[in-house]
Amino acid sequence: MLSKLGWFLRRRARDAELDQEMHAHIETEIEERIEAGAAPEQARNDALRAFGNQTLAIEEIRSMWRFTTLEAFARDIQYRFRLLRSSPLFAVFTITSLALGIGATSAIFSLFDAIVLRELPVREPDRLVFLSQQMPGIGPNSYLSYPHFARVRDTATTIDGILAMTPRRLSVESKGQTELVRGLYVSGDYYTTLGLRPAIGRLLVKEDDSASGEAAVISYAYWQRRFGLNPSILGERISISGVPFTIAGVEPPGFFGIEVGAAYDVAIPMRALDRIAQGQPLWDQPGVTWIRTLARLKSGVPAAKARQELDVIYRQVNNEAIQMAEPGEREQAERFARDATLELEPGATGVLSGFRETYRRGLRLLLMMLAAVLLIASLNVATLLLARSEARRHEIATRLSLGAGRGRLIQQLLTESILLAGLGGALGLALAWWGSKVLLRIALPNAVTLPIDITPDARVIAFTLAVSALTCLAFGLLPALRATSGRLAAGAREVGRRRPVERALVTSQVAVTLVLLVAAGLFLKSLYTLWTQDTGYERGNVLMFSLDASLAGRNNAESAATYRKLLDELLVAPGVTSASASVVRPVDDDAYFVAAFTKPEEPDNRIRVASNNLAPGYFATLGIPILAGRDFDWQDGAAGLKSVIVSETLARRHFPDQNPVGQTIMMDGIREIVGVARDTRYGNVKDAPRDVVYRPLFEREYGGQITYEVRYHTDPATLERNVRELVSQLDARLSVFRVKTLEVQTAESLSRERLLALLTAYFGGFALLLASIGLYGLMSYAVTQRTPEIGLRMALGAQPSAVQRMVLSESFRIVLCGVAMGLAASFSAVHLVRTHLYGIEPYDPASILGATLLLIAVAFCASVLPAARAARIDPMRALRCE
Amino acid sequence: MSHSGRPEILQGTLDLLVLQTLLFGPIHGHGIVKAIQRSSEELLKVEHGSLYPALHRLEKKGWLASRWEKTEKGRPMKFYRLTAAGRKQLVVEQSKWEQFQRAMGLVLRQQKQE
Repeated sequence: MLSKLGWFLRRRARDAELDQEMHAHIETEIEERIEAGAAPEQARNDALRAFGNQTLAIEEIRSMWRFTTLEAFARDIQYRFRLLRSSPLFAVFTITSLALGIGATSAIFSLFDAIVLRELPVREPDRLVFLSQQMPGIGPNSYLSYPHFARVRDTATTIDGILAMTPRRLSVESKGQTELVRGLYVSGDYYTTLGLRPAIGRLLVKEDDSASGEAAVISYAYWQRRFGLNPSILGERISISGVPFTIAGVEPPGFFGIEVGAAYDVAIPMRALDRIAQGQPLWDQPGVTWIRTLARLKSGVPAAKARQELDVIYRQVNNEAIQMAEPGEREQAERFARDATLELEPGATGVLSGFRETYRRGLRLLLMMLAAVLLIASLNVATLLLARSEARRHEIATRLSLGAGRGRLIQQLLTESILLAGLGGALGLALAWWGSKVLLRIALPNAVTLPIDITPDARVIAFTLAVSALTCLAFGLLPALRATSGRLAAGAREVGRRRPVERALVTSQVAVTLVLLVAAGLFLKSLYTLWTQDTGYERGNVLMFSLDASLAGRNNAESAATYRKLLDELLVAPGVTSASASVVRPVDDDAYFVAAFTKPEEPDNRIRVASNNLAPGYFATLGIPILAGRDFDWQDGAAGLKSVIVSETLARRHFPDQNPVGQTIMMDGIREIVGVARDTRYGNVKDAPRDVVYRPLFEREYGGQITYEVRYHTDPATLERNVRELVSQLDARLSVFRVKTLEVQTAESLSRERLLALLTAYFGGFALLLASIGLYGLMSYAVTQRTPEIGLRMALGAQPSAVQRMVLSESFRIVLCGVAMGLAASFSAVHLVRTHLYGIEPYDPASILGATLLLIAVAFCASVLPAARAARIDPMRALRCE
Repeated sequence: MSHSGRPEILQGTLDLLVLQTLLFGPIHGHGIVKAIQRSSEELLKVEHGSLYPALHRLEKKGWLASRWEKTEKGRPMKFYRLTAAGRKQLVVEQSKWEQFQRAMGLVLRQQKQE
């Protein structure tokens, strides 16, 4: 059929060739007649007449071609279908293997593509770059200050435009409902630089970024979720933290912002910060970096050239900043102006994304494992196909001896492979799409909407189809070639007996499976270690939620009073054991504050620490023991000496051999250490404990974001309801957000590890299933092959149990061989995953042993059935059957 | 398509004629026509045009293989030759023909007898 396919494609060439053949024939006839003495005119007429109806002949030949091509193809497919239906188990196994293998590969690949590879859906993304500052000794910083951005925007000639953005949470009131959304403050040129067109309405332009600009743009996902794609929202008046805005338009679908994993709901002009956020305007501060930028190179301008110009502009601003610096900061400004440079990084996939970096390495590792799984699936399919063609060698030999063309036979066998590939690939694609959605949900369990676009694009589909086709053609070809080779027709029994190729295939499957199982074991153990390690706090039965009164437009005094009142009410609320508050949540992505203190006797030695502000009762609520001294109390905010509590590590490191309680330090004023708290892991469960200084939250009027921790003895749902009621009674404009239990929060900080562990376990299990299918299939066919031999043995007196042992021992030989290979491979490959493991060594004996035993056990089960069948062979029937 | 006195050539027999003609080496289409006419002492005149559907059909079945080559005069023409399968088929066709002849002979002799 392949050659037929080729014919079909070369149809025009074929027709031309036919014409040429006829033409040559007629010319030859004419020549002969002329040589025989006829006149040229006469010769031509006679020749044409002798030829007969040329058109008819051509038509006849052409229709024959057309008919036989399609007809043969259709006949092949029909035949294959019938064959597959008659051996459904084979078909099911093969198609399932293919579908799962291909589906898993494509799912991971589409995830990888969406997170790492895919370019932004904007105009000419390859011309985009993002700016990042470099200071020697410190890593790159892709945050810029506003003066830097403005200067580049106004004076650079090598770029077509530059945008700036900063994400913030926004309290949006629309249609009478208030909710907290993810917002993005954007510079006026945001959409024009990207080159986007609105779904409806219009997008923001430069004129909107003014002190009084009231236009806002919402994302397509938000439009879908909140407004149900209702076009009447154009012109809708909304209120952001009490400031009025109008929805001017909606972003196009499929656009999720310029930072992967950080999709937003509402975009408003940056100048609105003056009206919404409270705090100092940062428009003129070259030392404060808070915005991220993306620039579009002028077409034809190489990035290096643009970088030169932008670096010059950047340094100019730094130099001017020296003059503007306060006396205490002048030295730092000078150092900055001297050493800092501006770099341009490719921005086709958007700005630097923490989400992407978190998952990039993990995903690459997964892709490698996927290659292994796909390999197993292919090997499995190959084994099945090979074994099957073995069983049909009679049929094939007969056909060969009756004169069937070898090529044609191979074509027919390949048709079967192609049919399987088609079905397996189609099923695999469906699985892939569903699978990547599931994977993303595992990675981001609390995301309301998936922040990335994982509809498989052309790249993924092409990849899937290519893999599917390649697998089947490659592993259909081998059996086809083998089955139709002359060797098979003669001495067929010899070739069938030892089956070296199939044994090698199954052995390889076993080996690769073992590697995957070992990896799965390591990741699972690593995850378990992470999960059960002592985090320093008790994570059960604690509910956390956050407020931000400044978003509701309250000033600091009002906010602080509200916060204090809420805490008081919580302490007496039903179901509450204890409650507290802090500025930064425990175990959160947001890091603690960076601060520094000095000891009074060493005023020049600034010791850097992490810092958090706590209300009294924090340590008790979280179950963190106080090792020395006491917790904060309500007196610690009042006038007099200010107090701090330090962490265990800090005490050990900076106050060795003394009791730090009672000592004083300098940290925005004189403070006395009143207690030492046990170390906890914060920020990330994997982080090592650090030097932390805790300050009392209520010692000054604080109105920003605050988190409450509540230890309860009822159920969290009731508690959440009560909390929401309490808050709305205190202040109707406050929104409660990020309500989570501490347990869930801890689990989420391990989401990447969970993903890895889950996936390797899935792959390992799947590989195990495939390998056992392969083993079962091989043993089954072997028993079928050797039925006469076994019958003979039994007729000569062999016991059924001996026969069983024979089959089992053969299968064990294969498995042990595979295990040995697998162990060798594991030892060499395992160091690749070292960086993903936590708390265990790559050569962890428990994991390796466990994996090996599991594999052997499953292999045993797979061989039991064929062995039992062998023992049940009736010698009489077996001998007669040949 | 029939000329007076000359027998019509049925499709099955045309196949046999072509296969037989190619037994001794590859020939192009025009040559095959001439060879059949010559060896049948001009009794069989194949309409040239009807040869080509037969040639292509035989090639499709795998009994012939074709290749473009240059004649002595330098003209490129499509040469056909027997394949191994074609050789086998020739034997089959010959035996079919002999059976047919025998059957015909039996029937006709009977008729004569009557």
